[in-house]
Amino acid sequence: MTRFALPLLAGLLAGTALAGPAFAAKDLVVGMPDNITTLDPADINDTLSQSASRTMLQGLFGFDKDMKLVPLLAESFTVNDTATEYTYRLRKNVVFHDGTPFNAQAVKTSFDRLADPANRLKRQSLLAMLAETVVVDDYTITLKLSQPFGALNNNLAHPGAMIHSPKALETYGKDIGRHPVGTGPYKFVSWEADTLKVEKNDKYWKQGLPKIDHVTLKSVPENGSRIAMLQTNEAQFIYPLPPEMVKMVEGNQALEIIDAPSIIARYVAMNTMKKPFNDPRVRQALNYAIDKNAYAKVVYRGYAGPLDSAIPSKLGFHVTQPSQYTYDLAKAKALLAEAGYPNGFEAEMFGRNSTNFIRGMQFVQQQLSQIGVKLTVTPLEAGVETARVWGVEKPEDATVQMQYGGWSASTGDADWGLRPLLWGKGFPPKFFNVAYYKNDTVDAAIETGIATADTAKRAEAYRVAQEQIWKDAPWIFLGVENLLAGKSKKLTGFYYVADGGLQMEEADLQ
Amino acid sequence: MTTTDATGVAAAHEDVRSPLREFWRKFRRNRTAMAAGLCLLLLAVAAVAAPWIAPYDPAAFDYDRILEGPSVDHWVGTDAYGRDILSRILWGARISLSVGLLSVLLGGVAGVALGLVAGFRGGWIDSLIMRICDVLLAFPGILLAIGIVAILGPGIDNVIYAVAIFSVPVFARLVRGSTLALKRAVYVDAARAIGVRDRLLMVRHILPGTLPSVIVYVSMRIGTSILTAASLSFIGLGAQPPSPEWGAMLADGRSYIGVASHVTFYPGLAIFLTVLAFNLLGDGLRDALDPKLR
Repeated sequence: MTRFALPLLAGLLAGTALAGPAFAAKDLVVGMPDNITTLDPADINDTLSQSASRTMLQGLFGFDKDMKLVPLLAESFTVNDTATEYTYRLRKNVVFHDGTPFNAQAVKTSFDRLADPANRLKRQSLLAMLAETVVVDDYTITLKLSQPFGALNNNLAHPGAMIHSPKALETYGKDIGRHPVGTGPYKFVSWEADTLKVEKNDKYWKQGLPKIDHVTLKSVPENGSRIAMLQTNEAQFIYPLPPEMVKMVEGNQALEIIDAPSIIARYVAMNTMKKPFNDPRVRQALNYAIDKNAYAKVVYRGYAGPLDSAIPSKLGFHVTQPSQYTYDLAKAKALLAEAGYPNGFEAEMFGRNSTNFIRGMQFVQQQLSQIGVKLTVTPLEAGVETARVWGVEKPEDATVQMQYGGWSASTGDADWGLRPLLWGKGFPPKFFNVAYYKNDTVDAAIETGIATADTAKRAEAYRVAQEQIWKDAPWIFLGVENLLAGKSKKLTGFYYVADGGLQMEEADLQ
Repeated sequence: MTTTDATGVAAAHEDVRSPLREFWRKFRRNRTAMAAGLCLLLLAVAAVAAPWIAPYDPAAFDYDRILEGPSVDHWVGTDAYGRDILSRILWGARISLSVGLLSVLLGGVAGVALGLVAGFRGGWIDSLIMRICDVLLAFPGILLAIGIVAILGPGIDNVIYAVAIFSVPVFARLVRGSTLALKRAVYVDAARAIGVRDRLLMVRHILPGTLPSVIVYVSMRIGTSILTAASLSFIGLGAQPPSPEWGAMLADGRSYIGVASHVTFYPGLAIFLTVLAFNLLGDGLRDALDPKLR
C-alpha cells in the first residue's frame, strides 16, 4: 500500500502543476450545424461560412453586435449628392497576415475582382453598380458608380465585400477559398472537411485583441451531439439551439442560453398573379386567419416575435405598421365572402423539407382550415425547390401558389430586405419575388430609396413602401424567429448577431 | 370395392376431423398465438370504430395544451400541436392495418400466381420468373421500397405498391417450391389421367395444397409491411402531414424526444405491439398448419 502511495502522490502533484491555469493556452471550440462551403467570402452564399471567414477577413465597414454599421478598415467617407461617387479614407498601419501592407491598391484589387461578372462570384450583385475604382493616394480610394446607390456602405459591410490580401489573390488565384489571407483578428491554420482551425493574429491592429490563442470551428449536424459537446465542455459555444432543446441546457449551472431577436423574417408568399390570390381581400383574409402568438408558441416554442411590417424590426428604416392583422376569424371569413369565396378554396403550399419548415407549414394548414381554406402541403428538397420556384423563367410558367419561406437581409438595410423580395422587377430567376408582387408606388419607393444616400429621404421612401406592402399583403406575415445558442458562462465577448452570424474578435475565456 | 372399403373405415371412426377443425384444435392450445390473435382482433375493431371511439378529432389542435404528458383528458398526452395522441393512434391504426393488409394481399396474389405458373410449367418460364425474383430478392427490402417510392413519388398509395412489389418474389418462390412437390403427387397424376385441363389442375388441385404455407407467410409478412410503411413515412416518403400514420407521428415527435418522450413513445409502442402480434400469430399458425409438426 505505502509503496504505491508515494509515486501516486508525486504524480498527482506533477499533474496539478502542469494543468496550472497560468500556462494554459486559451482554446475555443465552436459547434456549428453545417460544413463550411468555402472561405472566399466573395463566393459565399451561406451565413455559416460567412461567420467563419469573418474571423480572418475584414471589410471597409462591418456590423457591431447590434447590427449597427461601424467603420473597420475605412476611417471616414464622403459621398456626392446623387450617390454615385464615394470617397473613403483608409486606416493606416494595417498589415495582412502574410505581411503585405493594407492600402488603396489592395482595396481596388479585391473590389475589381468582386465586381467583374466574368469572375462569376456569388456576391457580385453587391458591387454590380461599380463603374470604376480610382486609387487617389495610398490611403484614399474613390468608387464611381454607374447608377445612384444610397446603401453602398451597407453593401461594403456585407461579408461578401471583405478584402483579400492582393498577394494571396495573385498566388492562389481561384484557390483563394482554401487559403484565406486577411487583416482580421485570427490567422488561417487548416481547414478539413468539418473542421476549421485559426490562431491568434499577433499583429492585429486593434490594441489588446484578440485574447484567444486558438479557435476551432467544428461542424456537428446532429442537434443532440452538439448539445452534448457543450455539456461536456468539449465546445464552449454551440448554435443553433433548437427551441425544443432549450430545457436541456437550462438546467446546467455552467451554461447559459443566448436568446436574441434576429432579422430572419418568416412569411408565406402568395402568388398575386394567380387566382384566388390576385384579390387583396383574400390575402388580407388569410393574414387575419392566423394567430401569430400561437405561431411563435407552436413552431418556435415561444422563441419568436411578431413580423409587424414587411421587414423585421432590427433592419434599418423599419416602421411598425399601425393597423396589425390581429387574429380575427369572423373578419377573415367576411373578407373571403366579400371576395367571392364564402366557403373557402383549395390551394397548394410549397416549402423546404426541414423539420422546422414542415412544422410551420402544418401550422398554417391547420389555421387556414378554420376559414375553409384547404391547403396541400408539399415539402420540397432544396434542388427541387430551385427548379420549381426560383429557376422559373417566366411569371406565367410559375406553378407556385403559396411559398413558406424566410429571408435574412445580411446588409442590415431595408433595401436588401425589400428589393429582392417585393420589387416589381425582381421576379425569379433574377431575384426572389415569388409573390410576383408588382405595385408602382412600392417600385418607385424602392428605387428612390436606393438612389440616394440621404438618410431622411431614404427613411421616407421605405416608410411609403412598407405602408403600401402592408395594405396589399402579398405575404402572410408570420413572425421573426429568435436566435438561440448555448454557451459556457466562462466565454465572454462572443456575439451571435441578428443576421445569424458569429463575431468572436473580442472573445475571451475566463 | 375400394369404395365400400373407404366408407367402412369412415363409419368405424366417426370422430375423424375436418382439416379446419383439426387446425382449430391445435391452434387453440397455443396460448401466445391466441393472445396475439385476440389483440389483433381488438385492434381491427378499434380501427374500424375509430370515428366513434376516438375521444377527439385526430386533426383538432389546441395550442394551449401542447406537448402535455398523459392526463385524464388526454390519456397518452398531446403532441406539438396539442392534438390528442390516443385519437391519432386509433385513426392511424386504420392506415397501418389497411396498408399492411392491402400490400400483402396485392403482393401475395401476384406472387402466388407467378409461383404457381413457374412451378407447374417449368422450362424457360420458370427460369425467367425465378431470375427476376432473384434480382428483386437481392435488394434489402427497405432499400427496394425506397427505390420504388422514389420512382412513383411519395404518398401512402405508392407505399402500398412498393411494399406489394417487394413481397411478390418471396411469395412466388414459396409457392413454386410447394408446386414442384405437389405436381408429382399421386392425386395430381390421377386428375391428369382423367383429362383435367392444366388451368383447372393448377387452381383446383395444386393451389389448395400450397395455401397453408401461404397463410402462415401472409400473417408474418403483414408485420413486415406495417414496419416498412412506417419506416417510409418516418423518412418522409410515405404518409404526408397531417396524416396520423404511426411512422409519420414518430418523425413528428422525434425532435421533442428529450423534453416530451411520450410523443414518440406511444406511436412506437403501437408499431411494436402490432408487428409483434402479427409475428406471434404467424408462429402459431405455422405450428397448427404444418403437418410435419405435431
